[in-house]
Amino acid sequence: MTSGPQRRPSLVRRLVLLASVWSLAALVLTGLVLTALFQQAALSRFDQGLNDVVQGLYSGSSIEADGRVDAPPMTDVRSLRAYSGRYWQVAEPVSGGHLTALIRSRSLFDAELKVPDGFLARLQKSPGTVVYDDTRGPDAEALRIAGLLSRLPGRSVPVVFLAAEDRSPVDRDAQRFAAVTLSALLLLGIGLIAAVVLQVRIGLRPLFELRREIAEVRNGKAECLSKDYPAELSPVADELNGLLAYNQEVVERQRTHVGNLAHALKTPLSVIQAEAERTPGPLAELVQRQAETMRQQVEHHLRRARAAARSQGNGEFTLVEPVVDELSRTLESIFKYKKVEIDWICPPEIAFLGERQDLLEMVGNLLENACKWSAGYVRVNCRKEGPDRFSFTVEDNGTGLPIDRQNEMLKRGVRLDETSAGSGLGLSIVDDLACAYGGTVTLFSSDLNGLGVALVLPAPKMSSHGYDK
Amino acid sequence: MRILLAEDDRDLSRQLKLALADAGYVVDHAPDGEEAHYLGANEPYDAVILDLGLPKIDGVSVLERWRREGMTVPVLILTARSAWSEKVAGFDAGADDYLTKPFHTEELLARLRALLRRTAGHATATLQSGALRLDPRAARASVDGEPLRLTSLEYRLLHYVLMHQARVISRTELVEHLYDQDFDRDSNTIEVFIGRLRKKIGPDRIETVRGLGYRIVPLAGEA
Repeated sequence: MTSGPQRRPSLVRRLVLLASVWSLAALVLTGLVLTALFQQAALSRFDQGLNDVVQGLYSGSSIEADGRVDAPPMTDVRSLRAYSGRYWQVAEPVSGGHLTALIRSRSLFDAELKVPDGFLARLQKSPGTVVYDDTRGPDAEALRIAGLLSRLPGRSVPVVFLAAEDRSPVDRDAQRFAAVTLSALLLLGIGLIAAVVLQVRIGLRPLFELRREIAEVRNGKAECLSKDYPAELSPVADELNGLLAYNQEVVERQRTHVGNLAHALKTPLSVIQAEAERTPGPLAELVQRQAETMRQQVEHHLRRARAAARSQGNGEFTLVEPVVDELSRTLESIFKYKKVEIDWICPPEIAFLGERQDLLEMVGNLLENACKWSAGYVRVNCRKEGPDRFSFTVEDNGTGLPIDRQNEMLKRGVRLDETSAGSGLGLSIVDDLACAYGGTVTLFSSDLNGLGVALVLPAPKMSSHGYDK
Repeated sequence: MRILLAEDDRDLSRQLKLALADAGYVVDHAPDGEEAHYLGANEPYDAVILDLGLPKIDGVSVLERWRREGMTVPVLILTARSAWSEKVAGFDAGADDYLTKPFHTEELLARLRALLRRTAGHATATLQSGALRLDPRAARASVDGEPLRLTSLEYRLLHYVLMHQARVISRTELVEHLYDQDFDRDSNTIEVFIGRLRKKIGPDRIETVRGLGYRIVPLAGEA
């Protein structure tokens, strides 16, 4: 659960990492402080017990007539049993910073309490107060030792009262406490990190949603982003939508401009041509020729500009069936004088990953071509070819094209660009557009006797979010 | 023969008027969409030459209005735009032919002659089933006066079932009728065409009689 999600943007990892580091540091610190506090509290209670013993020794001790110190009877079992872990001792400092035992608890047996280095100095520095320290007992056990240096009436040399007890119970308690605290905190830590991961993922879900939607727009499944984003993201979505709309608008404007220019030029050209036709002569011929050149130029550049205005990759897609339907009706009307029938079959779900205008141009030209050369019957088949392609086949029952002519056309097929409009089979536009979309055009001899043209074009992928390009 | 010429360019109008008059037509000229619509709707023309880029009301809208109002005079469209989307829009609005500018006057005259020849004569009775009407003379079909957009195969299919309204028509019969030439389609394709036709005329007008074929039926509530 704590492992960061794979292949996610680093934002999640960063947020989770940051939150984890913080909470882990806070938890470790809490653990350390709690353990230290507990140990301190336990030790001070332990020390209180030692203090009682020392005070008891001190207040109960007296000096005999011969100068010996007499300790009060300490009869609890542990003070009697050898090496029991609870000891007391009355001693006096001797030269060299050592202590000599005067009276010892029975539990010490034949050993003496050894005080740690510097303990005596501390006692001498503050006579009358109890001083604590750690030391080792006769059985090498860890002891807590308390000492009090005091003068007893009738004795010139000060007496040191010592009480010691095995501190391992305290240490054990502290350890147990630490263990429990640690496991509790560890659990808490895991829970916190899990909560952080969950929180970040839920919190950032709109972001992933945004990414998915953008992919869909690019993939052609959506036209713009939806509106329901949280306050922080909705401006981003709005801006993106604005950008998409702006792009679309620019493309449209380009098209309109180009169309307007063409329109503006073509009517005068018609006038010039018609006028020249009406008044025969060398000038009229020149005008005719030049007007024709101009017409071709306009046509050529119109096509170029249209191709340049095409915004590729904005994922627009066009259903093929309505386009085939519209064009079939239109072409049957255009070729009404020779009664051409277009017999088409196109599954309604097939779509072209590109703009409607371009599909209309390609299909329109192929159909027009077929109608032009047919003897009244044109057959169209459209079908899916793999996950991201579809094929569009147009055949006519005309006289067709000999194989060598077909091969010739196909050899030039890479760039039929320079073939002037009207002179060839009109395949140049189709080929140009198909190339621009990464599609192909192939010619074949149809079993209807005429020419067959197969167009393969990209289709939007039906499933998967990834857009492979 | 009386022709309406709707074109806004003065020079081109003048030339075309002269050429049409030379060819023996009587020409009325409308310089904008409003006037063109008025004249076309009220005067008995034999044909209309309609520029799509007219001021006030564009040519496609004028044509759509005419057709909605039941005007059936053949219309030849003139336009500078050679994109297929323009042609489709023009024919969908009800155009009968189409000429892209710039054109040779000779070609315009030839097209006009063909158009007039095509639409002359052949007075056949209108076929009807409920709100569905088919006018064989104009080769147009409509539902509730709203023109249907049919391809010629679809039109012929509809024509055939309308002509034989009384009985059930088998798929084989339809195949034979639609494909009188050698290159016949699989008879399953009839189903595809019927499906397409249903999408355009309404799903319930053609009934499937299981095991036998199809029959056209008027919708309940329609005469």
